[in-house]
Amino acid sequence: MTDRRVLSIAPDDPDDGDIAARFASLYTATPPPAAEQVEQCVRAVRAGSMHMATRRAPFGIPATRWWWGAAAAAVLITATTKPWRGRAVATQADSSFTAAVSNAAMRGTVTSIDGGAVEFDIVLPLAARHVAIVGDFNGWDVKASPMVRGRGDKTWSARIPLAPGRHTYAFVIDGERWIVDPLAPQVDGDDGYGPANALVLATPSS
Amino acid sequence: MMNGVVVALGFVAQLAAGTVPSKGAAPSEALGTSSSQPPSSTSRQPLPQLDASRFDTLTLLSLRSQLEIAVENGLPTAPLINLALEGSARRAGGAKILQVVRDHMAAMSHARDVLGAKSSADELDAGARALRAGIDMRTLSSIRDTRQIGGAVIPLTVLTDIVGRGVPEREARDAVAAIAKMPTSDEALRGLQLTVAKNTIRGPGMAVDAMNRYLRATISGANPLAAPVSPDRKPNRPPPP
Repeated sequence: MTDRRVLSIAPDDPDDGDIAARFASLYTATPPPAAEQVEQCVRAVRAGSMHMATRRAPFGIPATRWWWGAAAAAVLITATTKPWRGRAVATQADSSFTAAVSNAAMRGTVTSIDGGAVEFDIVLPLAARHVAIVGDFNGWDVKASPMVRGRGDKTWSARIPLAPGRHTYAFVIDGERWIVDPLAPQVDGDDGYGPANALVLATPSS
Repeated sequence: MMNGVVVALGFVAQLAAGTVPSKGAAPSEALGTSSSQPPSSTSRQPLPQLDASRFDTLTLLSLRSQLEIAVENGLPTAPLINLALEGSARRAGGAKILQVVRDHMAAMSHARDVLGAKSSADELDAGARALRAGIDMRTLSSIRDTRQIGGAVIPLTVLTDIVGRGVPEREARDAVAAIAKMPTSDEALRGLQLTVAKNTIRGPGMAVDAMNRYLRATISGANPLAAPVSPDRKPNRPPPP
């Protein structure tokens, strides 16, 4: 029968040597584990190990548990970064915050040119593959008036012959995203389809 | 029986192609080329055509009926056709397109009551957009009083824009009306709009402040653009105790 004594250490006990001796005697008095206990522990460690091969999959691929963990991590990383997205999509705004920043940095100018033409320029801080201007002068056709990329890879311009009068227009980026010039007069808020710019060209005689 | 099915299919095909003549009005009238609409004093742009291929059959028929109603009421059809084409380009549904066209036609009718029956198509369009933006009819009437027939397009456009940017309607009306009364004031109105647009980023109060300074500089005869757009002054702090 093993002598099991309960340690009772007072907080203010100054005799550390006595405590160490009592611990040592307790350790030496502990009987060795049985063989069944040792075998049970070894089985538990093997079953819980991440590096232990449990079976062989076809084609010689080791179907260890760490392999499944790595595959899950690869799927997660791929779904997050989406490497199949195009360059423009990856660099375009994905959140409202980025969109607000891009709209604040965007600026456009409208210049009347002699001969009844008007030149529209717009600077886009984000990458775009193609930009078009749509309005009542081209039947709101996205393919009718594409803009030409200018200097710096961010300036787009188009020259449109316009008659005097009131015109509404907007810009379409990559055929999907409609934007307006933030500093130009805007019309149609929530009641219509969305914002658009307004331009009034006076008659030359006035 | 079979002949009836063939005739019905042919009629549906005609509807889809937009070649069925509309009832009660000539096709040219329904497409916005009617001579009964108010003349546009400034617009020489070719009138828009209702491209039938951009709408489904049901929407197209409803649009044609709306345009016929506009022609019968003496309203211009070009702004309505533009709205329909814009909705199609923005991939709006047929119900949404019809709702927007119907609302704009009603707003143009109200705008004509305020601006006068002899107003140009551009004026009616700008007035309708102002009313749809929530601007009061009395404000439109005060803007009408500042300009002659055909000349209220820019004041109405600028008023709609600066009210939409957060400037109170009363102060916007007073500023636009004061500048619009001046001779050759279109450029001054554009400068007013740009001043408000630049200062809106800093808040509606800053936009109103900049608008008032621009207005004072314009009326006093000074170069309004020489006035600082934004004050950028140091805050007035109380003296230390």
